[in-house]
Amino acid sequence: MEEEQLIAGLRAQDRKTVEYLYDKYSRALFAVISRIITDHDIAEEVFHDAFIKITRKIDGYDESKGRLYTWMANICRNAAIDKTRSKEFSKSSKTNTIDDYVYGIESESGTLELVDGIGVKELLTALNEEQRFVIECIYFKGYTHSEVSEEYDIPLGTVKSRIRAAVNVLKKNLEKI
Amino acid sequence: MDIQAYISSGKLELFVLGELSVREQEEVMKLAEQYPEIRKELDQIEEAMFAFDNLSGKAPSTSLKAQVMNTWEKEVKPAASNQAIPSKAEGKVVPLQPWKAYAAAASIVAVVASVFAIYYATRYYDVDQRLMAMVQERAVLAEELDNYKVNYEQTDAQLETLLTGNFERVPMKGDGFEMQKDAQVDVWWDKGAESVFISVNTLNELDENSDYQLWAIGDDGPVGIGLVNARQKFSLQQMQAVAAAGAFAITIEPKGGSESPTLEKLVVLGPVA
Repeated sequence: MEEEQLIAGLRAQDRKTVEYLYDKYSRALFAVISRIITDHDIAEEVFHDAFIKITRKIDGYDESKGRLYTWMANICRNAAIDKTRSKEFSKSSKTNTIDDYVYGIESESGTLELVDGIGVKELLTALNEEQRFVIECIYFKGYTHSEVSEEYDIPLGTVKSRIRAAVNVLKKNLEKI
Repeated sequence: MDIQAYISSGKLELFVLGELSVREQEEVMKLAEQYPEIRKELDQIEEAMFAFDNLSGKAPSTSLKAQVMNTWEKEVKPAASNQAIPSKAEGKVVPLQPWKAYAAAASIVAVVASVFAIYYATRYYDVDQRLMAMVQERAVLAEELDNYKVNYEQTDAQLETLLTGNFERVPMKGDGFEMQKDAQVDVWWDKGAESVFISVNTLNELDENSDYQLWAIGDDGPVGIGLVNARQKFSLQQMQAVAAAGAFAITIEPKGGSESPTLEKLVVLGPVA
């Protein structure tokens, strides 16, 4: 299904289109959430709500502001981040601050162990330390690039170029898989 | 601009990550429209992100799909078909404040408009009255003009009559009689044309029941030849034709004149020279 067709079907609240959307994107979107929320049940709960939110807010999606997946991933990422910041979540989660997270990476038992996909470990190991660090902070954990820049005293431009380099490496390696 | 430098600045990656401000997002979108290279790069980054996400995590439980579809069926779908009504109801709440402002503005406009309306109504009434007065005045002037015109034509005709005819003036005076000593009336007589005019010089006005009657006194005695209007002074009044007469006289007779003169009421008499 073409993206335009998909969007039109979603706007018409057509059941088949919604199912198609779920089948095509649920795994990727769930991945976005579960990188931030490690608890599988809570992640599913957040995903459930975020997916419903996507179908509800589809009229507000503006094609000129980016592609559908980017828009949906942002909704999921924001839903997950909101959840981590809620009081209810703070009680049940142990690794919630950036320091805890970084500690996790240092202990070599952080993100890599959360990642379950085939070849993704290889993908991430293809990144150098610096690239992996910014990608993990921003993309996996939902911190903004300026937060990373401030927190670790890395110039903003450097954060940006590291992100770019990392995405480039991922892009190349994805083609191999 | 240097597109490659822009692409390698890392901004596009931040865009895909949702990290840019609204202003920066708009900038990226505008450039993506303008430069196919940027559009292509954006698409690649987005595809890479999707593929990466799709590979990198556990799938959600298979039961979750049924759950999501169930919620969608219950909450989103029915809301979509009823959307028009609640959105209208919401819309009605918002304009409450502006409504007051509009009402206030409208009442001010109404007051101002009323003041203007009264002012112009007064002005209109004034002007209308003045116009009516002028129309009446004009009618009076037109009537006067008509009168003057009639008078002029009469006078002109009389002058012409006098000048073209061969008239003899027969003055009649009242100084020999008791009635009106200062009375004076002239008879103008064209013997050839047998026409007679008189012009009143001095003659008292009479009451409503009497008339002055002119008599031509010939061989057969006095003959009434017309009634004289005492008010019409210094203008010619045509009388009946007379072929022969020795004298003219005026008596006061009952309204409409008499067959024969009332000699007791003889006012003026003038013999033909």
